[in-house]
Amino acid sequence: MIKVSNVRKLFNEITVLDDVSFSVEKSNIIGLAGPSGGGKSTLLRCIQKLDKPNSGTIKCDGRVCFMFQDFQLFPHMTVLENLTYAPALKNKTSLPAKLALEMLENLGIGSKADAYQRQLSGGQKQRVALARSLMIKPDILLCDEPTSGLDVATTMDVVTLLESVRNMGVTMVIASHDLDFLIKISDRILLLKEGRIAVDISPKETDNPVEYLKKFYSLPPQQFVETLKLSSF
Amino acid sequence: MERIVSDIVYVGTGVLVTLQLLVGAICIGIVGGLLMSILRYRGTCRSLINGMVSIIRGTPLILQLGLIYFAVPGIFGIKLTAIAAGIISFGLNSSAYVAEILRAGIESIPKGQFEAAQTLGIPTSHMWKDIILPQVVRNVLPAMVGEIIALLKETAIISMIGCQDIMRKSQLLAAEQFVYFTPLCIAGVYYYLLVLFIEFIGRKIERSEKYDKSI
Repeated sequence: MIKVSNVRKLFNEITVLDDVSFSVEKSNIIGLAGPSGGGKSTLLRCIQKLDKPNSGTIKCDGRVCFMFQDFQLFPHMTVLENLTYAPALKNKTSLPAKLALEMLENLGIGSKADAYQRQLSGGQKQRVALARSLMIKPDILLCDEPTSGLDVATTMDVVTLLESVRNMGVTMVIASHDLDFLIKISDRILLLKEGRIAVDISPKETDNPVEYLKKFYSLPPQQFVETLKLSSF
Repeated sequence: MERIVSDIVYVGTGVLVTLQLLVGAICIGIVGGLLMSILRYRGTCRSLINGMVSIIRGTPLILQLGLIYFAVPGIFGIKLTAIAAGIISFGLNSSAYVAEILRAGIESIPKGQFEAAQTLGIPTSHMWKDIILPQVVRNVLPAMVGEIIALLKETAIISMIGCQDIMRKSQLLAAEQFVYFTPLCIAGVYYYLLVLFIEFIGRKIERSEKYDKSI
């Protein structure tokens, strides 16, 4: 479904992705873990073709859609307009609107159809962004930090939502800092560190995956505290 | 008293000419400015546009008007009416300022909005028309109202080439009566009323529902 081969990406001579290769089967959920600056977002952006790799190839079967960390809803449009704008360009009937309302209803935000983004909470924006992506019927959905800024309960909702999206046959790649979330949802977790895939595990077949993955995050808190003590604070 | 009324009416006949100049120049200014700012954002002819904006903003308007009215016909053999020369030169001049205002407006839109449109498969022309520009317009509206007001007042320069606008009418009146105070004050009041009207329209748009609700 997705085939990434030997991808390298440099930003001003800084290597962000270094010879990254992996492939994803249909309807699988791949979690991207790893420390900040490890290359998670860049990898997603390369798959979506927002960034161009310096070398290597990425092949995707079908339509790809990207869910941004900060959602990027169109602020001058209502929720319904956000959902219907892109599909309505291709289908000029009332079908997109009908579908959008149904989707909002299913996501529990049917009452927000005429609201603007500033009138929504973080969790509601997340749902609108998800709905907007699903409206263009993607085969592959890329999510950048889908749980950032959400509370525990809303994060659980996101897990349920994304699982139901997977059941619709959508393949997903999800980048997140939230290891518990990733372990819950992913069929496979890739940990990117300094631009390379440092770990490739199946969380269901790994003992205590959180502890295992945590080892790869550099500068453990204790060391950070020591550093602080040494400085003039 | 009767004399003042007839003076007001006389200068008032210039309002239509001033408005003609203003509306014509706004049209050229907005279309030209929009084209320049979008092309420049996309990197097409960037240095050419930068050079044009720099020259237009760097030379006096009265000089540009003189060039278009007196010099261009001499070189190309086309005779322009005073009002046409005015509309063209004010319009071109305004387009440079509008391009700069819109540049600030476009650059204030997060890059993610462009990318979101791209990931949803929205074609470029639709992206500009329906996603980017509506947000830009909201951001730059106050600056645009300012530009239109400045443009209105600059149209008074047309009196130099004899076009009978508000300013010219008041000058004619003054020359006829050897009194400057009343005719100039009448012209001033006309200009000020027009400015108030433009400000009123601008505020009306800012307060309109669609504008107010989002962001």
